[in-house]
Amino acid sequence: MGVGRDERAWVRGAQAGSVSDLEALFKLHWPRAYRAAYLVCRDAAAAEDIAQESFLAAVRALDRFDRRRPFGPWLHRIVVNRAIDWSRARALRSEVALYEPAAGAEQALPSGNSHTVASALASLSTEHRAVIVLRHLLEYTPGEIAELLDLPRGTVNSRLRRGLDELGERIEEEVR
Amino acid sequence: MNEERLRNALLAEAAPDELAAGDRAWETVRAAFETREPVPRPLRYTKPLLALAFAAALVAAALTPPGRALADDVRDAVVGVDKAKPDLFSVRGGGRLIVESDAGAWVVDADGSRRLLGPYREASWSPFARFVVAARANELAALEPDGTVRWKLARPRVRFPRWGGGATDTRIAYLSGGRLHVVAGDGTGDVDAGGLPAAAPVAPAWRPGGRFVVAYADTLGRVHAYDPAGSLLWRSAPHAHPRVLAWSSDGTRLALVTADRVVVLAGSTGRPLSTRFLRGVTDATFAPRGHELAVVRAKDVLVLPDRGRPQRVFGGAGAFDGIAWSPDRRWLLVGWRDADQWVFVRVAGKRRIEAVSRVTEQFDSARFPRVAGWCCASQR
Repeated sequence: MGVGRDERAWVRGAQAGSVSDLEALFKLHWPRAYRAAYLVCRDAAAAEDIAQESFLAAVRALDRFDRRRPFGPWLHRIVVNRAIDWSRARALRSEVALYEPAAGAEQALPSGNSHTVASALASLSTEHRAVIVLRHLLEYTPGEIAELLDLPRGTVNSRLRRGLDELGERIEEEVR
Repeated sequence: MNEERLRNALLAEAAPDELAAGDRAWETVRAAFETREPVPRPLRYTKPLLALAFAAALVAAALTPPGRALADDVRDAVVGVDKAKPDLFSVRGGGRLIVESDAGAWVVDADGSRRLLGPYREASWSPFARFVVAARANELAALEPDGTVRWKLARPRVRFPRWGGGATDTRIAYLSGGRLHVVAGDGTGDVDAGGLPAAAPVAPAWRPGGRFVVAYADTLGRVHAYDPAGSLLWRSAPHAHPRVLAWSSDGTRLALVTADRVVVLAGSTGRPLSTRFLRGVTDATFAPRGHELAVVRAKDVLVLPDRGRPQRVFGGAGAFDGIAWSPDRRWLLVGWRDADQWVFVRVAGKRRIEAVSRVTEQFDSARFPRVAGWCCASQR
């Protein structure tokens, strides 16, 4: 049985009140939801909050959810839009430096290639980070990203192009 | 970098704390799932039509002069409880109250007598109601219930002092700016709980029982259970916009109220036991010697059992402010701000409502006086 059929069965089970089916859905989607939120907002605690709130929104809307539709895009739409909103709000808040990262949540960046990409990605604008994460981590097509972010497809394409160009430049600077 | 390498690099990027964060989030999601209320079925088409017809009739009525007059009457109908007493002759359920008004902090005895302690705010009882701790802008003060000052401590931007402990050893937790401080009950040994994240503007809460454990919420809405000797016992998942923390009297449950939900956490682990989506709750308190949680929000006073549906024990137009449980757990005291009344709701046995009017005037205040504690109903 494929993931899509599994997922539909889990959604149906969760709608019927099965905790184990909800847990299966959670385990399937948590790593990417959390990682996507983290890559967009670059704050582990905020990413946890955003991903958790997105799942809570899913629980609240579960009874109304159309199980013929895939669960992932619906969840990722909430996650990435919330992460974008959070990042924009942080940019406007002057008190952001007042709180410290929670213990154990310090940035444990790996060495090597992924660290370089991660730090280069962090230097891009929120909008560019979001489309790159949606395209290259969550593997949505530009058309799907346009739908998820409620943007014209041309805007998504140009953000992707510009974001990847900038990312390449930053990586070159870092490895130099 | 090609697309494949970029994707691999994003997948290899370690998202900090991913497994622990997932465990915390799952506990919260599971608790919300297990306590969710069933969504009502959509209305059949006849019901919206009826509602539309009713609304149209109301609009039509409101457009005529008599209709407008009726609408004005309805709008102004925050009349409060009928036959309310004109003065606070006694405190229903006994015990003593701490009240905050513009004039300062007051102690109210069971016979209704009132004493102004001074120009303090955010006062609360010591564990056995022998003392009161209160705040001024840059001062923490411990007082006797007759207003005698036992000691003072100058600290910047003092807020939410809360006294915890037992008969022989006590501590006071408070916020100074965004920092959690803990000081001994005699005013010595004040420490900034350094290294912890900044605190949200929420009163810290001491866990009842032998060991000193204080819970506080940080700016991200995580609740921390902290032993003032220096160790963090647990930390919860984040819950945005925290407002209130309240322990059950046996210390097994900690209620967290946020802008849109009430989460009950296990006192020993921080694991969520239940999550109820209730928007606009402004105050909450556990029943003495019980796990029923009374909450107040605009137009509603609810009692939330451990399991099962919330019970609406009082409601009315206008805003409510503050809730306290009587020491004998038979009565709830609710401030009905827009009616300028305190409402005593008997929740044990046959339901009964009693009220006191003109509360603002009785406490020499311009704003509605708030009940900050009913000794010794709870250890908030």
